[in-house]
Amino acid sequence: MSLRSILLAVAALGLIGAGPVPQSGVAAAAADQKAFQAYFHDHFPKLPTAEFGNGPYAVNAEMRKQWEDIMQFPPYDFALDEGKTAFETKFANGKSYADCFADGGIGVRQTYPQFDAKTGEIVTLDLAINRCREANGEKPLAYQTGMMASLTAYMAETSRDKPFDITIPDDPRAIAAYEAGKKYFYTRRGQLNFSCASCHVVAAGQRMRGDILAPAMGILAAFPIYRSDWGSMGTIDRRFTSCSSQMRSEPLKPQDVAYRNLEYFLSYMSNGVPITGPGTRP
Amino acid sequence: MKRLLILVTLLAFSTASHAATPADAQAALANAVKVETQAAGLGNRWVPTEAALKAARDAIAKQNWDEALAQAKTADALAQRAVAQSQEQETLWRDAVIR
Repeated sequence: MSLRSILLAVAALGLIGAGPVPQSGVAAAAADQKAFQAYFHDHFPKLPTAEFGNGPYAVNAEMRKQWEDIMQFPPYDFALDEGKTAFETKFANGKSYADCFADGGIGVRQTYPQFDAKTGEIVTLDLAINRCREANGEKPLAYQTGMMASLTAYMAETSRDKPFDITIPDDPRAIAAYEAGKKYFYTRRGQLNFSCASCHVVAAGQRMRGDILAPAMGILAAFPIYRSDWGSMGTIDRRFTSCSSQMRSEPLKPQDVAYRNLEYFLSYMSNGVPITGPGTRP
Repeated sequence: MKRLLILVTLLAFSTASHAATPADAQAALANAVKVETQAAGLGNRWVPTEAALKAARDAIAKQNWDEALAQAKTADALAQRAVAQSQEQETLWRDAVIR
């Protein structure tokens, strides 16, 4: 057998082994994640995975210096205390948040959002908190700020340094939710014809007016955040709705299915990035 | 000179916009709402479209038919662009995916 024949045979075997590139499904999502993270590591080669959870502070030295000064007295501390107290306070029926979550709700933030096989939908941490309240006879909380931000701040704090660990089960409904989130992320909308990716992929690390645009990888790791622009705490819903408005697109309602799917996609893309929340942003 | 003045006068009259009627304004608003409903169905309502629709409704409430007509036409044009954007993006978004 000539060397040429051997090479041809090896090449053919290689092609057979590689198989077709999956278009959708769990394997396709894993391939998306690999390409997504490789893109950001290529663009920020000096940045370790753990740093992506620090958003603009990871990619801009001036902002990082200011952030380090701010963090001597973190502006989210009041929310953290309030959230801890609320989390540990029993409901009127004697139960508490701990009864609704795995591991008593401590150190679980990095596993949200989750696919709920019973309902076939994506459940964010915020939605799980309200479902817990309602199951125990309490009124649901508003989603964008206030006590919801305080509770998620406390729960995030108990997950600090735990890497995002989002799973996509081999269920067509979970895969559809992931695909919908992916489509939302890359689709241009609004009068400015922007997509999420326009700012957080294409222009990540660059300045837009006074802001440094955070890379999409790890972008949710710091939530909830105290944002100076808001002068208060805000949840992921608050950020999604304000991003929509900035694109001159009418925001969806908090916890809209589209926003939950988007959070699922972004969090899955960020698997391996440690939780840094609660955080601060300009 | 006299001929020129007559011509200019005729042109001015022929091009002068007629005042909008209530029916004009209501019809234009109905059209705009119809297109915006289509944009909403595609999950793509634009902020300025909603603002123009509100301005058109406010103008109708004040019986300012010219303003209502202008705002409704603006809303209609914006909503049509939103629909077109969504239809284009139905396939174009895939080109932006990181691979």
